[in-house]
Amino acid sequence: MYGIEAINANNGWAISVVGITIVFSGLVVLALVISQLHKLLDLYENPRKIKNWFSGGKEKDTPLETPSVIMVFTEEQKEIAKQFALLVRTMEDHFSLPRLLNLARISGVKNFHSNLNILLKSAIIYPDKEGYFCWNQDLYIKTISY
Amino acid sequence: MDSLFLEFFQNTGFYLCDYRNIIMIVIGMVFIYLGIAKDYEPLLLVPIGFGMLIGNIPIFKGLGLGIYETNSVLHYLYFGVTQGIYPPLVFLGIGAMTDFSTLLARPVLMLLGAAAQAGIFVTFLGALALGFAPNEAASIGIIGGADGPTAIFLTAKLAPKLIGPIAVAAYSYMALVPVIQPPIMRLLTTRKERLIRMEEPRQVSKREKMIFPIVAFLLCCFLAPAALPLLGMLCFGNVLKEAVVTERLAVTARTALIDTATILLGITVGASTQGDVFLTASSVGIFVLGAVSFCIATAAGVLFAKFMNLFLKSKINPLLGAAGVSAVPDSARVVQVVGQREDPTNFLLMHAMAPNVSGVIGSAIAAGVLWSLMAKTV
Repeated sequence: MYGIEAINANNGWAISVVGITIVFSGLVVLALVISQLHKLLDLYENPRKIKNWFSGGKEKDTPLETPSVIMVFTEEQKEIAKQFALLVRTMEDHFSLPRLLNLARISGVKNFHSNLNILLKSAIIYPDKEGYFCWNQDLYIKTISY
Repeated sequence: MDSLFLEFFQNTGFYLCDYRNIIMIVIGMVFIYLGIAKDYEPLLLVPIGFGMLIGNIPIFKGLGLGIYETNSVLHYLYFGVTQGIYPPLVFLGIGAMTDFSTLLARPVLMLLGAAAQAGIFVTFLGALALGFAPNEAASIGIIGGADGPTAIFLTAKLAPKLIGPIAVAAYSYMALVPVIQPPIMRLLTTRKERLIRMEEPRQVSKREKMIFPIVAFLLCCFLAPAALPLLGMLCFGNVLKEAVVTERLAVTARTALIDTATILLGITVGASTQGDVFLTASSVGIFVLGAVSFCIATAAGVLFAKFMNLFLKSKINPLLGAAGVSAVPDSARVVQVVGQREDPTNFLLMHAMAPNVSGVIGSAIAAGVLWSLMAKTV
């Protein structure tokens, strides 16, 4: 048997339609789930947003402690800030300071203790008030391009 | 003494040689040449090509040398192909070397990987129309998935007799992606479309990358459980990679393990192409349908990207649709090359990896679906 007759006899049309529908719907559902994944993780990492949501958005996010005056870095300090920025990119959005310090030590960052202190003073690294710290990318860019 | 010499001579390859063995040896040498001199998928074409030489040495039946003789060493190695053992190991390695960041950054590109799977089902219909049995037609259709291990896995389950021609066709066309795809891509797109620049993808967190393989595995395998051996290993490999604490296992999976599986897969698939078994009218049909399947898959991806652009605010470059064909990373590289021919400053490679890896997931789901739909016919 050949041609359309063979396709009909073997239920070919139905198998093809069902097959492509399953593949498509599987990937569409997966795409939908992963498109929301970062939002769910954001809520998990910032539980205050859930509280805000339930309280009708009355409580606002704590604003970043952006200083009114930007600290002026030397060229060497800017280089070291760039090294810290790279290290922070390998960590979670809310990271622990001892872990960053340890990473800086094993990565051979120069005077890592005092330079981390400078980043804290300049508020490029700021506490999230839950025991962890965050990286202020805007302030970092302003500081190194100052 | 003369009779001894005569008896020995009658057992040599020179005496037992058949013109079909010579044809297959020449094809094997062409594969080795393409792999080494032209750099077309050398890691696959060289083992398969040499396997063809091994499989086509004329041998005296009964000595336990041929791959189809139950007591031969090659037969034991071939067990990994016929029982579908090597493909999941290859998938484990692929998972351990795949970065899903671009896919996570722009999940909508996953639909291109889904669209390109249309080639599988259109070819399935074509194979049925040419008189192949449904299980054989499904195995031929999967060539359009452009995924060698998936094609071998499904054929081993549905039509083991066709493993040789289907594997050779799948890998040949995968190697020929840079030749097959560009004309179709140019034919279906305007210059203006090829010049479209993609938005910079957002940064993806480590946690997202860690969760993705688990979510993808659960979702896809609940939907198509027959995809479990392939998707399970792909996602497990990716978990090993992203977990960092299992770096040693990930390194083994993406180096020693995948290399070992690829060598054994290539050499035994090549050796299974014995002239008398391989050179048949159905093999010719499989090669023709395989080429058609590849072309349809490429065209479906490109056309679907154009269709998506009708609704998207931020347009996507339709060339990316061609990367929905899951030949990783060759079809993504082809997208980059064709895109840069129009605008040398347009970098599409990283964006093309998204449909490319979703094509891998899509073809594994398609294989699972076909296997479960055809299981009763085998």
